Amino acid sequence: MIVATASPPLERLKAILAEISDLKHVESILDWDARVSMPPAGARARAEVSATLTRLGHERFVSDEVGELLDELKSVEEETDSALIRATRREWERARRVPTELAGEMAQASGVAVAAWDEAKAMSDFVSFIPHLERQLELKHRYIECFPEAETAYDVLLEDYEEGLTTTQVVDVFDRLKRELVPLIERRQPVDDAPLRGPFPLSGQEAAGRRVLEAFGFDDESWRIDETPHPFASKPGAGDIRLTTHTNANDLTSLFSTIHEFGHGVYEFDIDQAFARTPLGRGTSSAIHESQSRTWENLVGRSPGFWRWFYPQLQAIFPDALGGIDEESFVRAVNAVRPGLIRGDADEVTYGLHIILRFELEQELLAGTVAVRDLPEIWNARMKEYLGVDVPDDARGVLQDMHWSVGLFGYFPTYQLGNVISVQIWERALADLGDLDEQFARGEFGALREWLREQIYRHGSKYPPRELLRRVTGSDLDPGPYLEYLRTKFA
Amino acid sequence: MTEDPKFAQLRARLAEVNDLTKAATLLFWDQRVMMPPGGSAARAEALATVSRLAQERFVADDIGKLLEDLRGLEESSDYDSFEASLIRVTRHDYEKATRVPPELVGEMRRASVYALSAWGPAKAESDFEQLRPHLEKNLELRHRYVECFDPAEETYDVLLDDYEPNMKTAEVREVFDELKEELLPLIKEIGDAGEIDDSFLTGEFDPAVQRGLGLEIVRHFGYTDEEWRLHETPHPFMSSPGVGDIRLTANFRPTDLHSLFASMHEFGHGVYEWGVEPSLARTPLGSGVSLGVHESQSRLWENLVGRSRSFWRFFYPRLQEAFPQQLGSVDEEAFFRAVNKVHPSLIRIDADEVTYNMHIILRFELEQELIENRLAVKDLPEAWNARMAEYLGVDVPDDARGVLQDMHWAAGNLGYFPTYSLGNVISVQIWERAKEDLGDLDERFERGEFGELREWLREHLYRMGRKFTPQETIERATGSRIDAKPYVRYLREKLAPQHAS
Repeated sequence: MIVATASPPLERLKAILAEISDLKHVESILDWDARVSMPPAGARARAEVSATLTRLGHERFVSDEVGELLDELKSVEEETDSALIRATRREWERARRVPTELAGEMAQASGVAVAAWDEAKAMSDFVSFIPHLERQLELKHRYIECFPEAETAYDVLLEDYEEGLTTTQVVDVFDRLKRELVPLIERRQPVDDAPLRGPFPLSGQEAAGRRVLEAFGFDDESWRIDETPHPFASKPGAGDIRLTTHTNANDLTSLFSTIHEFGHGVYEFDIDQAFARTPLGRGTSSAIHESQSRTWENLVGRSPGFWRWFYPQLQAIFPDALGGIDEESFVRAVNAVRPGLIRGDADEVTYGLHIILRFELEQELLAGTVAVRDLPEIWNARMKEYLGVDVPDDARGVLQDMHWSVGLFGYFPTYQLGNVISVQIWERALADLGDLDEQFARGEFGALREWLREQIYRHGSKYPPRELLRRVTGSDLDPGPYLEYLRTKFA
Repeated sequence: MTEDPKFAQLRARLAEVNDLTKAATLLFWDQRVMMPPGGSAARAEALATVSRLAQERFVADDIGKLLEDLRGLEESSDYDSFEASLIRVTRHDYEKATRVPPELVGEMRRASVYALSAWGPAKAESDFEQLRPHLEKNLELRHRYVECFDPAEETYDVLLDDYEPNMKTAEVREVFDELKEELLPLIKEIGDAGEIDDSFLTGEFDPAVQRGLGLEIVRHFGYTDEEWRLHETPHPFMSSPGVGDIRLTANFRPTDLHSLFASMHEFGHGVYEWGVEPSLARTPLGSGVSLGVHESQSRLWENLVGRSRSFWRFFYPRLQEAFPQQLGSVDEEAFFRAVNKVHPSLIRIDADEVTYNMHIILRFELEQELIENRLAVKDLPEAWNARMAEYLGVDVPDDARGVLQDMHWAAGNLGYFPTYSLGNVISVQIWERAKEDLGDLDERFERGEFGELREWLREHLYRMGRKFTPQETIERATGSRIDAKPYVRYLREKLAPQHAS
């Protein structure tokens, strides 16, 4: 779209933002494709393309022209327009701090490092990954230097994912969680995990996943689901929601991760169409996003009502594995507290400790008190200390997550904050909607989805995360309800 | 020696344009292979933006300035050198691209989107009238496009140049006249010899098994999981969104074995891109040189390899094993004849090796008459049907199976069709040269060995990329100019005897 300079400033700004959003659409496809379809030898060329797209988008966005338009539009009053100006100005001011070259280098390094990480993880070979991780850290330091006024280095990173969140606030919440989670883990009841051992043939898992997704609102018109080593959700553009999952024949983790990714997908899908191709057209923060994936995965997908509806169907799909197991034993098994190695598979109680471990290590890495080459040893020692588990190899230890390979430092805490927020919102939903368990038992999820759409999803990034949270729940970030939920469920 | 700083600047700018183009390539691939339908509106916007940016950044004044400043380097460098080739080819592309005003580019793109969306229903309902105004609009825009360039000997030259750079209409006409003269009697001769039984090629062929076989074949040719992918789409195509990333698609119809040939055809396009010298990547030199030469490679792997007796001596036992009920009692000779059967028919894409060219010649002639205003769009169906009767002796029952069968004209692609037959002609020129160097290929094919052929093609053709013009490329690979004789000789030797017995 070419908009003449004589057009009103708001229209001109929107035309630029649309172009930038189109470039993000392209980047999102470049990334999705690299993880789902691309043959491995394509990684180097792909990293170059990603870097160019990032650089061009960055260049266009940080231009003086955008700044001048934002100034002209300072006093816009209409609610959505002023939200757009606010969100754009915040992003613009942050992006302008970062040299375009650095933005391109970061994209390029990530493309190369994620491919190296894939290989390193497959071979459980941390040493081959060291140079890539060191390069990412070096780039992060250069990035952090663009924001000299920040109180701590880690604050800079947090701000990228969670507007207004500081390291101190995270420490406060996490300290309290740690105090309460450790005793819960110590006092856990042994639960028989026989119901989850399978075998669960892959085609049956695919059918089960689809049945659940369709009951939640997935359709082939706007969604797709693929198999990848590491599950994720992606929205290249409006009306195009992509989930991935990873299926093992010996467990049902894929079903829960599918539901988890649906939560991310439905948030994006339900954003007001009018926000498309603007910065308002995506979820407002990582933690709010994660609150929704957690809502669908845990608060819906591990609830007694959900399983009253779905367990008979799952039994019919897997008669050999589940025919002789009653519903109660099964529900108990999928809600068991069981310290393990893998964050993505962790139960609701131990999950927090996986995050706290990463949060601490990230700060130490950035401060230089831990060297990259010593990371595996420290990781393993801390897993032993917090969860009492022995890490047998780096693939199931320090190499398990892709985040650091793509430069996502400061991201992990938002996962645990998502857990906290999910229960704050859930309490509000229960207050408005009454007994959801009964509806779930009938296979009805529409009322919940509609409530979430109305309260959260449709707003996209119109409200900053903390403001949205206050609007929906009447309070700020508060671990109280989450801890109460865990105590009731697990103590 | 350090790189000339201006040359380095040019390379950096071209790399950026290339990245944008590759991103657009991926978006297009994704749209056809992966994207849920609900995403099409957002995708149209994203694709338009990234294509526009690529175009804008290429026609920018500073690239023109760099090309001027680099004339000295070009002249002082060897013609074959990377530097001279890059400057020469970029200048050619730049001069073409800057001739056409962006508004006209936009108008042509929009018109083709509308025409394509009218083409679908028009074909489904066999109603030419629905498409007629769109074709008239496309034709009018093509006239305006032609006017952007210096007057050519023939108007059609300008259209042809988009697909087969530097090729003249007169040269194509010479090749096609020779084909026509030789093929019409050959078709008649074969027709008089009686029908070949190919009834066993229609039946039930499990698509999943076909996919496995298609993969097995292209793996023998050189496909690896490290660098290649094969997916399913209604219309097969090849796409290369980056170095080390070659993607084929095929359509696995449950009723016939067409997908095996489609897989080999798309492999031929893919292996050409795969074999381009890696150091040409991220420059305008890093891809196949023209549609005609590209098609020569898809045809070479599909027909010269994939319909050869020796290939089937190697692979037919596997095919029989995969489809014992359908093919268990069909011997290799009968199968070989069936997949090489010559039979005049209505649809270009289903045509055999011989009659295919008549479908192309017909379109080539009609296109020239249209652009020279010797034929009105409204009279197109009638002209089409008359010529189908004349060239192939078939009666066109409706426009869906006649003038509406291909999307090219709706898409605004006038001048594209001849490249298909040029590809056939070139394929045999290259083939003969490869056999001169390599000796008996049949023996190797019978043992399932295709590596030497692939490496020969890479060394003598693929690696050149776009460094030279298509004609120069053909001459370097074959030692001669484009020439129909080897192709005609090949068709006659291969097809006349087996239809005669």
